[in-house]
Amino acid sequence: MALSSFLNLLRRVRLVESVNDVIKIVERYAVEKGSIKPDRMLFVVKPESVRKLFEELVDKVGYERFYLSTVVGSDMKEENRFRLDYYVVILPEERTIVIRTYIPRDQPVIDSIVDVVPAALSAENETYDLLGIVFKGNPALRRGFFVSSDVVDKGVYPLRKDAAGV
Amino acid sequence: MRRPRLLELTLKNLFRKPATIEYPRKKTPVESDYRGLQYADLTKCTGCSICALECPANAIAMTPIPQGYEAPKTNPRRLYPLINYGKCVFCYRCVTVCPFNAYITTPKYDLANAEKTINSSPLSLSTLRKG
Amino acid sequence: MAVTKIVEVPISAEVPIGPQHPALHEPLLLRVYADGEEVVRVEINTGYNHRGIEKLCEKNTFYKDIFIVGRVCGICNAVHANCYVRAVEQILGIEPNNRAKYLRVLSMELERIHSHMLINAVMAENIGFENLFMQIMLDREMVMKAKEILTGSRVMADFMMVGGVRRDIDDVKRARLKDILLKLRPKVEYYKKVFEEDETIFKRLAGVGVVKRRDALAHGLLGPVARASGIRIDSRASDKYDAYGDIPFKVITRDEGDTWARMMVRWDETLESIEMSIYILDKLPSDGNPVPDERKLPRRFPPGEAFTRVEAPRGELTYYVMSDGKSLNPYRVKIRTPSFNNIINSTFMYLKHTIADVPVILTSLDPCISCMERATVIDLEKGVKYTVPFKVLAGGKP
Ligand code: SF4
Ligand code: SF4
Repeated sequence: MALSSFLNLLRRVRLVESVNDVIKIVERYAVEKGSIKPDRMLFVVKPESVRKLFEELVDKVGYERFYLSTVVGSDMKEENRFRLDYYVVILPEERTIVIRTYIPRDQPVIDSIVDVVPAALSAENETYDLLGIVFKGNPALRRGFFVSSDVVDKGVYPLRKDAAGV
Repeated sequence: MRRPRLLELTLKNLFRKPATIEYPRKKTPVESDYRGLQYADLTKCTGCSICALECPANAIAMTPIPQGYEAPKTNPRRLYPLINYGKCVFCYRCVTVCPFNAYITTPKYDLANAEKTINSSPLSLSTLRKG
Repeated sequence: MAVTKIVEVPISAEVPIGPQHPALHEPLLLRVYADGEEVVRVEINTGYNHRGIEKLCEKNTFYKDIFIVGRVCGICNAVHANCYVRAVEQILGIEPNNRAKYLRVLSMELERIHSHMLINAVMAENIGFENLFMQIMLDREMVMKAKEILTGSRVMADFMMVGGVRRDIDDVKRARLKDILLKLRPKVEYYKKVFEEDETIFKRLAGVGVVKRRDALAHGLLGPVARASGIRIDSRASDKYDAYGDIPFKVITRDEGDTWARMMVRWDETLESIEMSIYILDKLPSDGNPVPDERKLPRRFPPGEAFTRVEAPRGELTYYVMSDGKSLNPYRVKIRTPSFNNIINSTFMYLKHTIADVPVILTSLDPCISCMERATVIDLEKGVKYTVPFKVLAGGKP
């Protein structure tokens, strides 16, 4: 009995460490910090380091301690760049943190993380189809995954702020 | 492990009334505050157009009150909200944003009728006196 | 054996659907490549009905969007609206009172009950148990009635509003709702027992489509699918939004990870939701009017961004809403529905199973295509594509 409760305690301690572990890793890549309501920690990183960051996460803490919830791409037209937010949920507490990066609007290319984190598949495909951000190295990327073919034929990305006719 | 008696349930059902409702011969029973057809009471409406601006389905068109109806003095522009029930999603946003509480709500849900257009003009205009 | 020649035999079926049956018969193409009976590769083809809800939200005002996002999905419209409304409340800094929070949770739990009953019924139908399908759907009508009493409509709740809910309930309604739930509980217990003990169901579902804990996390699977693989994720328990912090409930997990476990998780959650709803009706706080005056809500929105999560019947649903403070419309609304992850990322689950198992596995994921594509339900396009080695066609053994 005593032993099992001791083991339990040990497990708890390790779990707490896991959240800090993840945050510590992410923090090292961060160039800027902030938060999104309600209470989601935000880390701005360089676009080149997104892939490295996830590689390190998988390497150091493993798949069982986090999952990628979604990728939100937004067109910041006035700043002439795209913004990509990777929402990562840290287990087992389910703390959501945000990894944000910016890529230039005229050259919207970023390394794909689909081979590192398979959960990125749906999100990357959608972001490519709707916003035109190219995830280099994702083999499943194609137009028309979500939008209808007439939009594809016109060659517009519907979620861009200057998209015409959608 | 005792099997659940599904067979018994099946046999019982053989002697039960059908569960389906033969609409339109029989009406589906709905609550008295079901969100059904709603229309503006033109004695209260001032033609301010707020409901038409706020409608998420764009189902309301501000329309002139036809000649031969006595519009109230509070409605100088003689406009009234004409709801196209084919577009309306019955969210009742119009009911809750109207500053004069002009909307009358009903639990009526059947839209089909013999007329070609389904809109609120007969209901709304019936609130006005002719003259 | 190296396959050198292949013959493609495309088989496709089109089945018209009614509005009561949107779970599986929806436009989604699963390209299944099989060697003999064994599935070797699955491709998901989507995009039949993209409506562009996110763009639509950018072009309409914050308040109109409440009703637009409710129409992303018919089954879980209250959770969609709730998630969006809470994001807007975060931006505005408004907090509803406790009674409103309890009523919100009540509407969402009723939705979970009928959603889980629906997919269990569809599963019964898919394995050829039509009798059971009809029974469950009949009892599901009771929940629809409860939703009508609470929100004013059977399906489209339109119940959420910034700062509260859109209708209150009185004691008469409260008693009626409780009566319905008490009647429903023994029925659900009975169905759970059927799924647990009936040999046909058990043999058909057990051991099919097993997902390991690690795979489920790596592929970002959510909701009952993840919980059936032993992952304890539930945003109701972790984010404690609305009144979930006050209402006691258990997070149901199972370790089997197969199709049967997923269905059992759903039955247990249904029972849990019934308990929660009864608790809410008993303990409904009365700290003021839960219905805000929609004419007096703020018109201008400060700049800000919010990311809210909600536990929809199918798993974690997230909304990201951003206001730039300049216009009356949101700058960006991003919706990530649970089916979006569960369906597109789950092609690995079908491998090594037979073609006949594919529909069962797909149903156990509780696919909601309208959620996933933000689409309208029009028709079914589900093709199965076999690739059979030439030798087999010629009568040889593979
Ligand atoms: S109920 Fe909703 S959709 Fe219908 S007219 Fe009113 S605001 Fe428009
Ligand atoms: S908001 Fe009310 S008063 Fe104004 S036009 Fe509509 S019904 Fe008439």
